[in-house]
Amino acid sequence: MLIKLTGGKVFDPAHKINGRKRDIFIRDGRIVKRPPGGEKPDQVYDVTGKVVMAGAMDLHSHIAGGKVNIARMLLPEEHRQYQAKRSRLKRSGSGEPTMTSFSTGYRYAEMGYTAAFEPALVPVNARQAHLEMSDVPIIDKGAYVMLGNDDFFLRMLSRKADQKAITDYVAWMMGATQALGVKVVNPGGISAFKFNDRMLDLDETDSHYGLTPRKVLKSLTRALTDLGVPHPLHVHGCNLGVPGNVETTLKTMAGAGGLPMHLTHIQFHTYGTEGDRGFSSGAARIAEAINKQKNITVDVGQIMFGQTVTASGDTMTQHSNVDLASPHKWVCMDIDCQAGCGVVPFRYRDRNFVNALQWAIGLEIFLLVNDPWRIFLTTDHPNGAPFTSYPHLIRLLMDRSFRNSMLDTVNKHAGDVSTLRSIKREYSLYDIAIMTRAAPARILGLKNRGHLGAGAAADITVYTPHANKERMFEKPDYVFKDGNLVARNGKVVNVTWGATHVVRPEYHSGIEKSLKSYFSDFQGMQMGNFVIRESDFPDDGRFRVETHKCGKGRRA
Amino acid sequence: MSGFAIILKDAPRQRVDLAPLTERICTAKKAAEIEKLPVFVGNRKCVLGDLFVVYGKPGERLVLDNICDKIDGIGSRWSEGMLEVYGDAGDRLGHGMTGGDIIVHGNVGNFAASGMRDGEILIEGNAGDFLGAPIPGERIGMNGGVVRVEGDAGARTGDRLRRGLILIEGDVGELCGSRMIAGSIAVMGDMGPRLGYAMRRGALFMMRPPTRFPETFNDSGTHTLPFHHLFLAHLKRQGGAFSVLNPSDNRLRKYVGDISVQGSGALLFHDS
Repeated sequence: MLIKLTGGKVFDPAHKINGRKRDIFIRDGRIVKRPPGGEKPDQVYDVTGKVVMAGAMDLHSHIAGGKVNIARMLLPEEHRQYQAKRSRLKRSGSGEPTMTSFSTGYRYAEMGYTAAFEPALVPVNARQAHLEMSDVPIIDKGAYVMLGNDDFFLRMLSRKADQKAITDYVAWMMGATQALGVKVVNPGGISAFKFNDRMLDLDETDSHYGLTPRKVLKSLTRALTDLGVPHPLHVHGCNLGVPGNVETTLKTMAGAGGLPMHLTHIQFHTYGTEGDRGFSSGAARIAEAINKQKNITVDVGQIMFGQTVTASGDTMTQHSNVDLASPHKWVCMDIDCQAGCGVVPFRYRDRNFVNALQWAIGLEIFLLVNDPWRIFLTTDHPNGAPFTSYPHLIRLLMDRSFRNSMLDTVNKHAGDVSTLRSIKREYSLYDIAIMTRAAPARILGLKNRGHLGAGAAADITVYTPHANKERMFEKPDYVFKDGNLVARNGKVVNVTWGATHVVRPEYHSGIEKSLKSYFSDFQGMQMGNFVIRESDFPDDGRFRVETHKCGKGRRA
Repeated sequence: MSGFAIILKDAPRQRVDLAPLTERICTAKKAAEIEKLPVFVGNRKCVLGDLFVVYGKPGERLVLDNICDKIDGIGSRWSEGMLEVYGDAGDRLGHGMTGGDIIVHGNVGNFAASGMRDGEILIEGNAGDFLGAPIPGERIGMNGGVVRVEGDAGARTGDRLRRGLILIEGDVGELCGSRMIAGSIAVMGDMGPRLGYAMRRGALFMMRPPTRFPETFNDSGTHTLPFHHLFLAHLKRQGGAFSVLNPSDNRLRKYVGDISVQGSGALLFHDS
């Protein structure tokens, strides 16, 4: 079937198309060139005057897995407060920061998003997370496996194992957990917490393994580069949320040694200690470093005011924040000596100096980093705010007068010390298309996503231009997923199932021998049961794996 | 005194959540409007008029008649005026109540008076489990007001009680006053096992010692407590079985605990 979108203004940064009027043709779920010989399309959508972009992608959103479920259980009141009724098409659901899986898919699609990636897949929870993501309809999914605090890796590193063996382990783990990338959370710190360390800076040695976070980062970065995994190491650095952590973050960036590295929710890592309250913005320094170091990419992790819940693998910093929990209840736990988990409900208040400044710091980073190809729009859902606040965030970026009027309503002292008011930059639609479409697809190595060229999957979002960008982005006119119209005027009209994106780097099977004995000696399950295979999933199209190629890598 | 009488036609097969019928609606809406109020029977949505007949006109008095134990959420967020229930009420009676009076001429289910902040509830029959306890996800149970039960109360009575007074004229089930934060519970009849489990502060007043004391409470001797004089005088004004107690009879044996937590709670009884 041939579908034609006619007359739209296309924003496709991957092909440097900035608002040019262009027709788009879709056949069998793919975007195709204009068919020769004037073939008549079966369906025509007149999108004259409307904005056409690829489907948006959220490269860091906690939508599935152990800690999300702990957060759901911890906050039943949230599920009483927000309830979505069942309809002919949709299943019922509940929650906002801890939204249930079906609602997550619907809400993303209704906002024009066609992919979201779970950034903290604890290996032992991977099966459950994939099953849960199989219940997220419409959008594409993928996950980054969390390494760097797992006992096996730290043992190898501490007894100075060959980097080749570590690289094999990383590759094996990615395959076994069906991952798209690798994330490290507080490198070495989650593990150090279990041995009673309460802080671990980049060059501090932990008390058990005698390793520094720098060594962990170096080894993992090296492994991914050697394997040619497209997505660089996804780094949640040391000292999250600690005033003065800007120094650590700058050192972490420099420590990448020119190799690609992705620093996630950088807003939480951009705090200085200046001012009479000992809390200040390090956004200018961080942005300068990002602008200089082309190997670094970041996503922001913007906070928004209101109730949310912080769910992180970083037991160490979550545990230090439990007194701030609102409502006052929290969970911190170890997960099978592979990682940790900390869930702390949180309410960001606009009258609070620290929260208001956090909000301003996030926006400062957005506006001071020049290259939208290397900075991504996230709220670290649900840690900074639920993903449903993206349209509001886009408006803050695109509309300076709105931004300044919001700045007037927050804590006055924070407004005074922030440089936000003086920043004149406004994002253009082209910039937004880069940071929410083209750039995430590129950095994740998804060649057939995030653009509108021939051969790409027909994930397309059509908006009506509006002076109020929040209104424009919250209810797109049409959302196509793989060529199917899934949402219209911000309402789901068709429920389809997206793909799960993975990469399968190669490894030498020798590593399995030592893993096998490790699993049988120390883990709760045997290696054979740990590995996730596609055939383990019901054949109902909900777990459809799309494998992406690794680059050449340095090992090859 | 004007108000509505809402009478259940037949006992429903599934549970009915009557939480949408708040006091505010009863003073502001007409009978025909109340009949159109959406309620759920199990997972089926219908209107209140399908299940109940509504008589009367707006006012601060509401009578629910012919009620059965499948009707949950009666008197949710009740704030003013009188609510009278004839028959047995279901779960979550008076949830989040902030004022006024509720009288139940019958038994109530679980989680009665949960999240209650002020007002008075009188239950002429028995109360189920978790009287004055928080529903899952909420952190504090009853936070003010008075509940008097003329019959027995079930397990976990006063769980996470924060403030207010619970009076039980019959017996209570196990774990009475568990995780209590503060507030007072008085019991006429027998105590169930493991009373005061993880109790932090507050007082549990009994007419006679329990058959077995929890290991995490310490005997701290017999005292003449001026506070107890005031407490009994207060109970006198509440009416019911406690009002016959003599306020000057304020010499009490005191056990303090639960020492596994904060340990400032008190078990009080007459040492005879």
